[in-house]
Amino acid sequence: MHKIGRYSETDKMSDLVADHYSMLLVMHRFGIAMGIGEKSIREVCKLNGVDCDTFLTVVNFLLDENGALPNVSKCLSVETLVDYLQRSHDYFLKFRLPDIRRKLKEAIAGCPEDVAFVILKFFDEYASEVNKHMQYEEKIVFPYVRSLVHGEQGLKYNIGIFRKKHDQIDLKLNELKNILIKYYPGPGSNLLNSVLFDIFSCEKDLASHCLMEDRLFVPAILEIEKP
Amino acid sequence: MRSSVFKLAVAEPSDIIRNGLAVLLKRMPGNRISLVEIPDMARLHERLKAERPDLLLVNPAMLGCFTLDRLKEECGCASMKCVALLCSASVPALTKPYDEIVHLYDDELQIRHKLSHCFESAGEEGGDTPCTDEAQCLSSREKEIVICVVKGLTNKEIAEKLYLSTHTVITHRRNIARKLQIHSASGLTIYAIVNKLVELDDIKDI
Repeated sequence: MHKIGRYSETDKMSDLVADHYSMLLVMHRFGIAMGIGEKSIREVCKLNGVDCDTFLTVVNFLLDENGALPNVSKCLSVETLVDYLQRSHDYFLKFRLPDIRRKLKEAIAGCPEDVAFVILKFFDEYASEVNKHMQYEEKIVFPYVRSLVHGEQGLKYNIGIFRKKHDQIDLKLNELKNILIKYYPGPGSNLLNSVLFDIFSCEKDLASHCLMEDRLFVPAILEIEKP
Repeated sequence: MRSSVFKLAVAEPSDIIRNGLAVLLKRMPGNRISLVEIPDMARLHERLKAERPDLLLVNPAMLGCFTLDRLKEECGCASMKCVALLCSASVPALTKPYDEIVHLYDDELQIRHKLSHCFESAGEEGGDTPCTDEAQCLSSREKEIVICVVKGLTNKEIAEKLYLSTHTVITHRRNIARKLQIHSASGLTIYAIVNKLVELDDIKDI
């Protein structure tokens, strides 16, 4: 039996999401809305025009917390994967990071003005780094992959360049978290805790996003690039 | 104990043993461990080459006739620590080249102790002495350097200003990063402002 992982296409989609609420994000990034009823993963994917193998590969990869190297199946749809990554970028850049910034600003309003200023400055610098990192993928890597999948010849890029260049983007968020925990001089508050929780979860989410690009996306493209 | 992430590879085909170890390792306090699981021994070389872990946990019997030194050399992991994972009685000669031995029936505390020992000795190879009072132990020289970094000076400029060699400045910066777990200039800025090493006006234009 080909082992994809813990969940298979006959399992109920609602069970998957109820067991692992983080899969709500994954569903959304594949363009699947809620209201999935009693349908199996296969049925839900089919109804939404999502490649089921790709969906399951992503789900099982993310659920395997130890980041074991997945078997990259030949039937993986690279286009579906690129769409997924693109939507993840939108989530981080257009929703998650601005949302954290807004909450952070509100949460640190009670601390000395100069401290609040440098904390927000740190965050803004970080957000622009993430933006740059993701823009590169969207402007260079994804268009290349789409051309590759459509069989275009003579492309001047290869995924090896990306593999070498690709760096972690969650480290600085971890740094911010450490700084706030160790040195934040203002009074504690529910709001500050809440934004710290957001930073924890965003950090984890970004780390697994990058890990997926390294361990799922890159190997899949390498497979296509083989002459 | 060193503060950066420690990359630990577990090469073990048994799902039960590998996952059990993973659970114990994740429970170790204060250590940021990034775990690499290698269930397929046939791919051990390939994975070690790609991941270059700081520490490898492996059952010596699984390595067959490979000697540990050869494995390290071939995978480019010369400084990797190796811990033998013993599930049955074993000839002492087989485990001699290992830095530590973990037995299947060791309890959690014993395992934690043995691995911490390995982490520490790996961390010390950087030549830094461990500091107990992490937050307070920036020396006055290090504080001066923090101030310069925060004001946007390059290593060369800092060296000139403080009459040090660039090499010394880099060493200080590495120590600062390790002590505070802050690696970026903008992170140091927050530290410097909070601890009143600089005023906002000093740095506002940067």
